[in-house]
Amino acid sequence: MALLDRTARGLFLWELVNGMALTFSYMFKPRVTLNYPYERGPTSPRFRGEHALRRYPNGEERCIACKLCEAICPALAITIEAEPREDGSRRTTRYDIDMTKCIYCGLCQEACPVDAIVEGPNLEFATETREELYYNKEKLLANGDRWEAQIAANLAADAPYR
Amino acid sequence: MSDILAQLGAFWADLPLIVRIIAGILVIVVPLLIGMALLTYFERKVMAAMQLRQGPNLVGPFGLLQPFADGLKLLSKETVVPVQANAGVFFAAPMLTFLLALVAWAVIPFGEGLVLADINVGVLYLFAISSLGVYGIIMAGWASNSKYAFLGGLRAAAQMVSYEVSIGLVIITVLLCVGSLNLSKIVEAQKTVWFFIPLFPMFIIFFISALAETNRAPFDLPEGESELSGGFNVEYSSMTFALFFLGEYINMILMSAMTVILFLGGWLPPLDIAPLNWIPGPLWFIAKITFVLFCFIWVRATLPRYRYDQLMRLGWKVFLPFSLIWVVLTSGVLVYFDLLP
Amino acid sequence: MPKLTIDGVEIEVAPGTSVLQACEQLGIEVPRFCYHERLSVPANCRMCLVEVERMPKPAASCALPVGEGMVVKTNTPNVHKARKGVMEFLLINHPLDCPICDQGGECDLQDQAVSYGYDRSRFEENKRTVSDKYMGPLIKTFMTRCIQCTRCIRFVDEIAGVPALGGLARGEHLEITPALEAGVNSEMSGNLVDVCPVGALTSKPYSFNARPWELRKTESIDVMDAVGSNIRIDARGGEVLRVLPRLNEDVNEEWISDKTRYAIDGLKRQRLDRPYVRGADGKLKPATWAEAFAAIKAKVAGVAGSKIAGIAGDLVDVESTVALKDLLNALGSQNLDCRQDGASFDASNRAGYIFNSGIAGIENADVVLLIGTNPRWEAPLVNSRIRKTYLTGKLKKVAVIGQNIDLTYPTEWLGNAGSILTDLANGTHAFAETLRNAKNPLIILGAGALRRGDGLAVQAAAAKLAETVGAVREGWNGFNVLHLAAGRVGALDAGFLPGAGGRDLGGILSGAQKGEIEVVYLLGADEIEGDRFGKAFVIYQGHHGDRGAHRADVILPGAAYTEKNATYVNTEGRVQQARLATFPLGEAREDWKILRALSAELGHTLPYDTLAQLRQRMVALNPVFGALDRLVTASWGPFGAEGAVADAHFTSPVENFYMTDPISRASQTMADCTEAFLKPALAAAAAE
Repeated sequence: MALLDRTARGLFLWELVNGMALTFSYMFKPRVTLNYPYERGPTSPRFRGEHALRRYPNGEERCIACKLCEAICPALAITIEAEPREDGSRRTTRYDIDMTKCIYCGLCQEACPVDAIVEGPNLEFATETREELYYNKEKLLANGDRWEAQIAANLAADAPYR
Repeated sequence: MSDILAQLGAFWADLPLIVRIIAGILVIVVPLLIGMALLTYFERKVMAAMQLRQGPNLVGPFGLLQPFADGLKLLSKETVVPVQANAGVFFAAPMLTFLLALVAWAVIPFGEGLVLADINVGVLYLFAISSLGVYGIIMAGWASNSKYAFLGGLRAAAQMVSYEVSIGLVIITVLLCVGSLNLSKIVEAQKTVWFFIPLFPMFIIFFISALAETNRAPFDLPEGESELSGGFNVEYSSMTFALFFLGEYINMILMSAMTVILFLGGWLPPLDIAPLNWIPGPLWFIAKITFVLFCFIWVRATLPRYRYDQLMRLGWKVFLPFSLIWVVLTSGVLVYFDLLP
Repeated sequence: MPKLTIDGVEIEVAPGTSVLQACEQLGIEVPRFCYHERLSVPANCRMCLVEVERMPKPAASCALPVGEGMVVKTNTPNVHKARKGVMEFLLINHPLDCPICDQGGECDLQDQAVSYGYDRSRFEENKRTVSDKYMGPLIKTFMTRCIQCTRCIRFVDEIAGVPALGGLARGEHLEITPALEAGVNSEMSGNLVDVCPVGALTSKPYSFNARPWELRKTESIDVMDAVGSNIRIDARGGEVLRVLPRLNEDVNEEWISDKTRYAIDGLKRQRLDRPYVRGADGKLKPATWAEAFAAIKAKVAGVAGSKIAGIAGDLVDVESTVALKDLLNALGSQNLDCRQDGASFDASNRAGYIFNSGIAGIENADVVLLIGTNPRWEAPLVNSRIRKTYLTGKLKKVAVIGQNIDLTYPTEWLGNAGSILTDLANGTHAFAETLRNAKNPLIILGAGALRRGDGLAVQAAAAKLAETVGAVREGWNGFNVLHLAAGRVGALDAGFLPGAGGRDLGGILSGAQKGEIEVVYLLGADEIEGDRFGKAFVIYQGHHGDRGAHRADVILPGAAYTEKNATYVNTEGRVQQARLATFPLGEAREDWKILRALSAELGHTLPYDTLAQLRQRMVALNPVFGALDRLVTASWGPFGAEGAVADAHFTSPVENFYMTDPISRASQTMADCTEAFLKPALAAAAAE
């Protein structure tokens, strides 16, 4: 009987028809993909995108050159040089991130005691040349100024869990 | 109204033969190329729908201009010729494929009397042309001087030869029922019933063999992206690749048209009643071709690729004996009941 | 010898040992802030609490002498709780500055807070803040971070001998304050940075520069004076960022002088990073090595060996000295001298030019006589060793012939005339009796005393004095020469001296004036005025564009002491090896390699291709070079030439402690120190 059953199924292409029916039924299901540049999925407040150096509301840069991010960076992407500023405070003279080395693990923002270096919500920073991905302090601070509102909102949203 | 038509007819008849031929060719080829472009778009959209994706939607309204953008892209690219390649054959191969795909359309009847060359041996002509198609692929595989291309060419040759045998036998059954090799006659013979109902198993075998003949999934072994990284066309780029691409898709349409003519009643409406018979024959023909093409795509979206030995086993050990038996059976039935036309 | 049990292990220690030291002998870690092995014990941080059986409360182990049958426990819950309590109190007023604190990463408080601290504070009141104090150009202060361990006060009082720091107010309000806000005027002040367990006192030139984990640490030898302090060079990339002391009980204990620690910024300025050749217009022009060698070859080719001379400078290593000596000898020249200061003394006997007793040997002396030297400036660590011995009470008397200056311990000034030495040697001076009665008399002959024209006589008189007062006997040699230059003893040991018929420095210079010397090879020799070379063709090999390079016709850029693997011999005759911390700048190369390459160019290829081969050659030349890091006793024998010691005054050759060599002269920090400490003192002296 089983033989007969199997033969009949084979002869009438039962599995084939079943499979075709399945794919056909999927044609009428809603799409799961987004029309990306025009539609976007939600991002978590913890999203780890492009780096930014933040400032205090009075315009003073937050980074105090403690070099903890440089120390913890597993990809050795961060380079910091520091010296006393004219007013005697500890500041960086150089803060470079090699974005081609960065693995976006987020350890730098976790290590930062003053929330200066953060990975912002921006993920669209592709460039035409490698050189543009060697971020310096100026570029990072500009990023911070540009994304500050969103970064601050994200940090506030995530604050209870930190 | 009829005046104008008559005048047009007279004007047409007055034109020199060469002009009429060229005009006829253009009337077939231009819509065909546009149809081929739309087919690629159609394929991507249908596959996307079945895979819950969006498909092309950025170029033009609903992404309709995507195939033309792709064509422009291919046109503007550099043609790379491998150093070790045989340049003459290398360039001849895609031209041959494209040319053969177009030539076959000369005998396809789009409606009653709407055929460029209404020859008596239309089926044989079609069969011959589609058999020649394999040369383009073998030439490409050999001239590229690349192991992937070569393997692809070998596979294509073996595969096409194998499945042509069963296609031939399937066509014989149809011819037995019609008694003519003229394609228009074949269509007219289906006025009472379309052949896919009495010859249903043959219809299925023909459809599957058509997939193999056009190198479509699940028989796309000559290309085999995952194993041969593109197969016979791995070394092709730019317009040479585009010609292969065009040729393959036009072949797909051609095989669909053959299926429609042999089994689905050509330009005939399903039932000869109003309002179905108000719709002109060519539109029915196109609609049926579209349906068969949809099935091509549907199969591609559903089934994984065959292994090579499975492909050969299917061709030689299943289809060939089965269709042979069916030929004997059909002729037996026709002779016994004296139904031969 | 009391016996006690610590954590169940029995140990017998010397009487007077503290429980903390006994724990250390067993390898048990006891946390501490105020306790420091080399300083007195105040027991005010309370971090080292341990439990002792039959004692009602935990006791501070650093101040608790061991007793017979004591049972000590260092690892009980009670001890932990007590230490955690102490830590919490310490952290009440300590700011959460770690990210901006230079001590971060090497901070005792930070480390111990990991073991004994809480991760949050229960203290809700305002923290104490303290205004920062001025401590000179070397030390940066953040007094809010101070945990009042008073190590710094004890260091300046006891080791540096300059009571410049003190505590004001009491309890929580105790503030460390420099007297009169005048800075810590000591040549040892840099050690305060090491002594401070937190970030209250940090290094000013190094401030905010780097983190300890970024630095490449190289154990090396210092060349700023002839003590040969053991140092650790911390470098990042191609830049030396700081120098720290390395423990060596026989040389520098765990201190280094400020010049050693802070002159390193001189390594970045005025450096020679490519060869130069003086053009036809009399100006130095950048050249390639090939051009420089070609220029030398062109000049040397036609000159007789006797018309070539070589002078080795103060900072040169033994390797390059030996290589230059071999090269010049091969060229047929015997005109070599390593005493560029013009000192004349007999170098035929090793005992006649080294610090025979050893620096550690000072601790056995009971009477010290200093002749023509200011050890405080010439070798601060020798001076601190004398002070250490004085503080133990073993050293009864220190007498001085020379300038009467404050050496941080009481001295008896015998005068500064040369005749006093003659009198002493003849036994006619009253102090000779004191020396004779001493058990271990020690005589330190300064480099300044030998630099005089009558150096040979001074040396002989001092040797005679040493012999007559019993300073030289079996098991004790109290005849010591205190050199100034790190390269001097090594060059003397290598025999970089006039050979048979060769000229000494005076002869070379007068010969150059007269045209009898045509080529002078200066190996890092920078202390000779350029016009004294007359019309001679001068080749300068060195690392700084100092005096020697200004006069040179060809400059070959060499490596500074942080940039080469090299051997140095300190004033004791101790052979030590410095290691490469950063690579030589630009086109510069290690010195011996330059000489080796030049020798091939001149057709007298030196027979060594590797450093190991060169060192074999050194040992063959003088077996002393094989005795690394230990003292080789020199046998006593006659040396010097009897003669009249001129009556001229003995003076120290060092006029400015902070600037004695090309590196420290190029250093901005040293210039700042000169400005801050030396200028006011000179002004005060002038006003008197």
